[in-house]
This record gives sequence, C-alpha cells and structure tokens, in this order.
Amino acid sequence: MKKALSSIYIIIIMLFLYLPIFALMVLSFNEAKSMAVFTGFSLNWYVELFNSRLIMYAVVNTFTIAIISATVATIIGTAAVVGLDAMRPKTQNVILAANNIPMLNADIVTGISLMLFFLILRVPQGYMTILFAHITFSIPYVVLSVRPRMNRKTDRLFEAAMDLGASRKYAFRKVVLPELRPGILSGFLLAFTMSVDDFIITYFTKGAGINTISTIIYSQVKIGIRPSLFALSTIIFVVAFVALLIVNIKSKKQEVELVL
Amino acid sequence: MAELIRLDNISKSFGEQEVLDELSLTVYENEFVTLLGPSGCGKTTTLRIIGGFETPDKGRVYFDGQDITDLPPNQRHLNTVFQNYALFPHMNVGENIAFGLKVSGKSDQYIKDKVKYALNLVNLKGFENRQITELSGGQQQRIAMARAIVNEPRVLLLDEPLGALDLKLRQEMQYELVRLKKELGITFIYVTHDQEEALTMSDKVVVMNNGYIQQEGTPEQIYNEPENAFVADFIGDSNIVPGRMIKDKLVEIKGTEFPCIDGSAEGFEPGQPVDVVIRPEDIEIRPYGEGLFNGEIISKIFIGVHYEMLVKSEKGNFEWLLQNYDEHHVGQKIGMYVRPENIQIMKKPEFDDEKAMELDL
Repeated sequence: MKKALSSIYIIIIMLFLYLPIFALMVLSFNEAKSMAVFTGFSLNWYVELFNSRLIMYAVVNTFTIAIISATVATIIGTAAVVGLDAMRPKTQNVILAANNIPMLNADIVTGISLMLFFLILRVPQGYMTILFAHITFSIPYVVLSVRPRMNRKTDRLFEAAMDLGASRKYAFRKVVLPELRPGILSGFLLAFTMSVDDFIITYFTKGAGINTISTIIYSQVKIGIRPSLFALSTIIFVVAFVALLIVNIKSKKQEVELVL
Repeated sequence: MAELIRLDNISKSFGEQEVLDELSLTVYENEFVTLLGPSGCGKTTTLRIIGGFETPDKGRVYFDGQDITDLPPNQRHLNTVFQNYALFPHMNVGENIAFGLKVSGKSDQYIKDKVKYALNLVNLKGFENRQITELSGGQQQRIAMARAIVNEPRVLLLDEPLGALDLKLRQEMQYELVRLKKELGITFIYVTHDQEEALTMSDKVVVMNNGYIQQEGTPEQIYNEPENAFVADFIGDSNIVPGRMIKDKLVEIKGTEFPCIDGSAEGFEPGQPVDVVIRPEDIEIRPYGEGLFNGEIISKIFIGVHYEMLVKSEKGNFEWLLQNYDEHHVGQKIGMYVRPENIQIMKKPEFDDEKAMELDL
C-alpha cells in the first residue's frame, strides 16, 4: 500500500515535469497550426524552422555567444580563483562575498544597470554588448565552481611539485591545473547553460536588429507564436536530453570500473 | 660529523601569533633528527622553513655552509615526505616517482631504472602502473618515500609521515624507515608528536614547545634525564612532583626525604625548590614500613605487560603512578622505595610560557 502510494506520487511528479514538454514535442509534429488539436503528423514546422533565416540567425547568435562567453568567463574565473588562493583569508572572504552578490541579485537589476552602463559610455548595443554582459554574469558561477577544488590539498600538491624541483609554472600546469579541471569543466558548462538560458539580461543589452533564441520566442509570443518554435524547442530538449544521458551512462560505467 | 644544516636565531610569526622565537638548531651529516612536540609547538613550521615553504621573519638558514634562506624550494638539495603524502592523484605510481627526475631532465632509461630501484627499496616491486587511489595508506606512504628519495637528496624531511597509519603499520614502518636511512646514508629530519616514534628511531631528539627548544639530546638522555617538567611530562608517563633540596644529594618530596645523586655539583643549592621526576616503573614495592614511604593502593589496571596502579601516600596525600609486573590489590598498604639514581631533579622553569605549561600538568 505504502509502496503503491509512493509510486503514484513519483508518477504524478514526473507527469507534471514532463507532460508539458511532451505536449510541446507532439505539437511540433502537428499538421495544423493549432495549439490544441492534433490533426495529423507532418514535418512542416521543421522545414519552416530551417528555412527561417531569422530563427537560424538567432540560434547561431545564442550558441556562439554561449561558447565565447563561457570560455572567456572560465578563463577569468579560474585566474581569479588562483589569485584568491594567494590572498589573506580576510581579503578572500571580502572578495568572495562580492562575488556572490551578482548571483543573488535579480536579473532585471543586472540587465537594466548594464543597459545604463552601455548607454552612458555610448557603446552601440548589439552582439558585443550581449557577449560582454554574459561574460560578466557568468564569472561568479565559474569562481563558485572552481573555488572548492583550490584547497589545502591542492596547495600541498603544488608544494610537493616545487619540492621535487619543478618551477612554479610547471608545477601549476602539471599538478594544480589537473586538480582544478573538474571544477573548470563544470564552471564552463554552468556558464554555457546560464548564457543559453538567459532572457532578461540579453533583452536589455541586445539593442535592435539582433536576437537570441529566448528573445525571438518572446517577440513572437506577441504576434502569435508559430509551431516552428515548438520544433526548435524540441530539438534543444532532445539534444540536452541525449547529452545528459551520455554523461550519466559514462559516469556509471566509470563507477562500475572503480568498484571492480 | 660534519655540520649540514644550521638554523640561526629563526623567528617566525603568523599574524599576531609567534610560532618560533629565536630558534637555533644544528643538524649533522647522516643524522636522524626528530623534532618532537605537541601540535602548535612550531615543529612543522621549522621543517617548512628548512624545506623553503616558509620564509623566516628573522634569522638565517645554512645548508652545507651556504645561506639558503631566500632560496625557493625547487633549488634546495632536499626532498620532503609530506603529511598525508601529497601524491599527485591524476598520475600513476610510476609517474609520481618519476616527477622529480623528469623535471631535472634525466633520460628515459635512467628514469625507468631509477623508478624500479626506488620501488624495490620500499618493497613495492612492480607497482609502476597502479593508480594512487588503488593503494592502501601504508602503500601510499611508501610511494611518497620513493618519490622523494629517487632524487638522491642529501636531506630527507619527513612531516608526520606515519600519522595517518594504524598502530601495527606504524610500528612496521618505523623499522622500514630506520632500514632505509641506513641503506641510503642520508640525513633524516623527522617531525612527530608521537614520543614513541621519536625515541625508537632517532639519533637525536629535539623536544619543542611554544616555539622554543626545550631539550636536545639522544633518546636515552631525553627519557632518563629530562631537563624540565615539560619534557618529563611529554616523554612517557611520569610522576612530576615539586620538592626542595635539603642538602647535597638529599631531596625532600611531600614530607619524605629521598637520597639522590644530584647536588651542588649540578647547581642545586640546599633549600632550593626543584621539580622531581620519578618514572612509574622506578618505584619499587616493598612490604609495608620497609620502604622510604608508605601508601595505599587506590586503583589498579592491567595493561598488557604490567599493572598500572595509583598509590596514595600516607604523608603528603599524593597520588603516585606505579608500574609493576606483580599483581597487588586495591586497598593493600605497601611500602615504596626509589633508588637514588632514579630520582631526576630538575630546575623550576624559567620562562613564563613553561610555567603556563606546568599548570595543566
């Protein structure tokens, strides 16, 4: 009885989480433009999606901005963690607190202040301002995810490498960097997802004539959303789902190997 | 023996906290020196200054006559076995051991032979391709040793290397370390808070507390002739009692007069207050009334080889710690005797720091 109840509970939660996405996927293959009735299977909306220069342009913008901003933020954030490590604990705490504020701050505040900042400096808004904004809000997340890898143990490993005759540079490259790698990787992925996901900050810093996926969907909602965007959403979801599946299967395999 | 390392008036503070206060120490070639003391006594900081990981605020470090105070660790001819080993987790055993040799640009064949030799030396033949995570604590310890000694350092620094191992393994590794030291013929500077480790392995023990050296000497000297109450208390179990010199070679403790072998020749004048150390195994049990003083056994436990007892003396009401091979019963009244040569007389501490120590004895 108890077991049945707990399975029902899980099923309900799963339905709430995935039924909407499932509905979206089904509708992306709909023949008609209807958002309610499924009239027949077709790939029309996928064809329209790939033929729409506006959407394709937004997709390219979204992913190039995500990749570039995540890369730059990862480099800056990692360098910040390394620098922090050499500081006195008091200074470290102050800087880390300052690092946390932008993450807790509402996106709308960050967005508007960045927009004002660009206006005051008379920077023409466009691709570069979005990129700059995304780098800015991604750095704290990278710091947050790399920082725990830079601990006493890492310091000891660095010292051990120096003790064995390595120069500071060599010790950093051969010993410290590999220690930080998991944090750097997850920091990069976090920054990447934050960038792809972001709407508010992008909206305020993008200027006219440029769109990312999130802003184009928003602008279309006003004039009536077309199912070609369902198709786009479906593709994004499937890609993310498959990526997650691969990562999980891989780490499961590694676990098994470790146990053996 | 030639002098190899000399610390000259080293002082070091971290923020407000003074860790070392004008410490001077000489280490000779081929010596096994142990820095022994409770945590926070400055022993690890001393080791880190020798290794080059900390710079002293004041004082100089000499290696083979040369001033190396400002030399970074990668230019010093010594290697360290770190606490918790600091093995590189993303490299296998062979790569870990080869790290130092690779840095110094040795040929592949030389490195391969040397890694093999080092693994043989620490009894882990054929472990080259193992991952660090697959190793037990004892094996990691050996790899850390191997990684340090392949570089043929003149001095090996060891920072509590056995601290993370269980008792049995620790005792085994003690023999291993002494054997390695003999085979390599190099100087070992060893840091520990474990007095047993210090006494069993070292040629010279340096007892430290509060940033000062309390006593320096052979293990026998440290154990049998502690210079002050701190050393006596830290090394082994002891009865440490305040006393007063009556005259030459006679000391009064808790209302009983004991003949001893120290006197004015050692600088103890009649009437002078002193601290007296009597090891628990040195108090002999005699029939009641036949010893120097009498008491009643108030507790007894069996700890393997011998019995440990607390005996309350009739005079002075002091609880003495005794160790004896024979079983006696709680409540039994006994006489006790101490040979004059087993009574160690010490001066009262001079430093304020030590006085603070004395209070929590």
